[in-house]
Amino acid sequence: MTDRTDERAPTPATQPGGGPPAAPPRSSRAGTVETLFRFQSFFGLLAVFVAAVVFSPRKDGEILFLSSDNLFNIVRAVSEIGIIGIGLTFVILIGGIDLSVGSVLGLAAVGSAVLMINSDFGVLSTVSIVLLAGVVFGLLQGTAVSLLGVQAFIVTLAGLQIARGLARMWSGGETVQISYGDGPDQAPMTFSLLGERTFGGVVPIPALIFAAVAVAAILFLRTSAFSRHLYAIGGNEKAARLSGVPVNRVKIIAFGIAGFCAALAGIVHAGQLNAGSPNDGIAYELDGIAAVVVGGTSLAGGRGSVIGTIAGALLLGILNNILSLNSVNTDMQLLIKGLVIVAAAALQRLRPTS
Amino acid sequence: MRKTTRSLFAMTCAAVAIAAAGCGTTSENTGQVQQQDPTKACKGPDTRYTIGMSQANLAEPYRVRMDEDIRKAAEKVPQFEVLFADAAKDNSKQVSDVENFMTKKVNLLMISPNEAAPLTDVVRKAYNEGIPVVVLDRKVEGEAFTTYIGADNVQIGRQAGEYFKNTLLPQGGKIVQLKGLSGSTPAAEREKGFMEGIAGSKIEVVDTADGEWERSVGQQKMDALLKAHPDIQAVYAQNDPMAEGAWLAAQAAGRKDLKFVGIDGLPIESGGIKAVEQGRLSATNLYPTGGEEAVEAARKLLIDCQPLPKEQTLPTELVTKENATQVYTRLNQG
Repeated sequence: MTDRTDERAPTPATQPGGGPPAAPPRSSRAGTVETLFRFQSFFGLLAVFVAAVVFSPRKDGEILFLSSDNLFNIVRAVSEIGIIGIGLTFVILIGGIDLSVGSVLGLAAVGSAVLMINSDFGVLSTVSIVLLAGVVFGLLQGTAVSLLGVQAFIVTLAGLQIARGLARMWSGGETVQISYGDGPDQAPMTFSLLGERTFGGVVPIPALIFAAVAVAAILFLRTSAFSRHLYAIGGNEKAARLSGVPVNRVKIIAFGIAGFCAALAGIVHAGQLNAGSPNDGIAYELDGIAAVVVGGTSLAGGRGSVIGTIAGALLLGILNNILSLNSVNTDMQLLIKGLVIVAAAALQRLRPTS
Repeated sequence: MRKTTRSLFAMTCAAVAIAAAGCGTTSENTGQVQQQDPTKACKGPDTRYTIGMSQANLAEPYRVRMDEDIRKAAEKVPQFEVLFADAAKDNSKQVSDVENFMTKKVNLLMISPNEAAPLTDVVRKAYNEGIPVVVLDRKVEGEAFTTYIGADNVQIGRQAGEYFKNTLLPQGGKIVQLKGLSGSTPAAEREKGFMEGIAGSKIEVVDTADGEWERSVGQQKMDALLKAHPDIQAVYAQNDPMAEGAWLAAQAAGRKDLKFVGIDGLPIESGGIKAVEQGRLSATNLYPTGGEEAVEAARKLLIDCQPLPKEQTLPTELVTKENATQVYTRLNQG
């Protein structure tokens, strides 16, 4: 009930849930331990980064892992999972889950392609429609969770199927290829920027979008009352309700944010790959949840942070990259990633509940 | 909640600002293809070469066999070391796999793309960097690759259709089709070819179901098809695992009279050739993996400094009870 709230505004004057108004004074040693656990995902990220440098293959003295091309490849590759993970964090913080995000990504990718190619929409209207659809999809799921009282797992499991079905229907079951140009059945060149690199040809645009979403989410959580409500609901929903937190509204919005992020990731996906395939994003929800868990957010809700999720996504991305650079076979990669996820979750269990 | 609204607004602004910052970059997506000099990558027989092989997935036995064929053929070329990556049916993962091969500075890229359009850009990037690219089985768009090796799915579908028309059901009849994963190119091509093959006959495809290339799905879909169309005489499955699944469903329903035809003809114990030999399938259509040919292409490019044809279409072959044993033995020698 007295969960640490990692990103809450620094003035917790009235903590909902009847907890103590401020963290009780602790001995400095306990404080250090607490800090260590709090930034667990960063130390994990640092450790994996250092290990990657050490184990990186070299060619002509150059550490291949550290080449700027490679580092940006990593961020590009994790950008979609990272964006999804950020959205998921909001839902998981309230003790919920969203299993539909991978399918919503697929739906958004297909939607982007179909709207621009078959329906001749411009970039701005396409992006707006797709993002809006993602938000609405999330809001509907949130409504079912909060007002109908169905478990989030069930609602979003259904959402996973529904979004996948819609994606298959919308695309006619075929991959819709995005070709660029001015003619009919062609997408505007602007959209192709998503597959581009900028600043000297090294920084991929998806990485910039990931960074923008990350900054926006962190700022949002630091500055809004919404954030306090999220943590309060995740800590103890009943207590939060009694102390006047608009629980239903906050829940619905959290699912809306997850839907928005999934749709945005889908747009990025379509732009990066020049196609919208109805099979895009299968099992991405699991990668997203993995990033959230490795980032130290508790699946029980009430504890965790967006920064942690970002670190978690990067950690898994670096792990993927270094294992591939060393040609570790895929079966072994899965095994190692599984162990890392379990280790991260186990470490969280050890964390003192202040 | 005012604050929430304001923050959301700030969030949107930040996103728009970053998006705007991205504008005005040099264009990478315009599809420019640099002419590759085939002799540039070739350093003769005295060098060691690293080859990266990016496989679409290892969930299909056909692709496992392709990797196996490459590994076996490459073992006979002492200069070659082949690294394998498995994209697990994920286009994004395959893009990363290719990028990682570029980071490792492989001397040649082999790729069997999960889908054409999403992989085109990254393959072009590798090709434009001077890495010879051998594309296997499924194509990429455009011209930015060194050589393509694969069998023709339309032709194989047509061959299957002609077998129905000429041998299996010369008098015509009702059949069902089990299609591969909808959205995948081979599924569309194998259907197109098949329809061409049975054109002009009295064969009627009364229903088509999506079997997703998988045995279990094929079985499940066949259960339903048998209920809906008890009057069918044969099944055209776009790959052997689905045909086997359908056979199991028919057995369970007591329809031992039904005939099954598949595609792929993998020369492995659990593959289609054995199924034909053992009488479960009437026929299968050989879809060669091209693994051996890919290593041969790499040898010509890197060691012999020879140019290659842009496309190499592998021959297909109808496998029936008469030639099954012989084909199986032939494909597993050496």
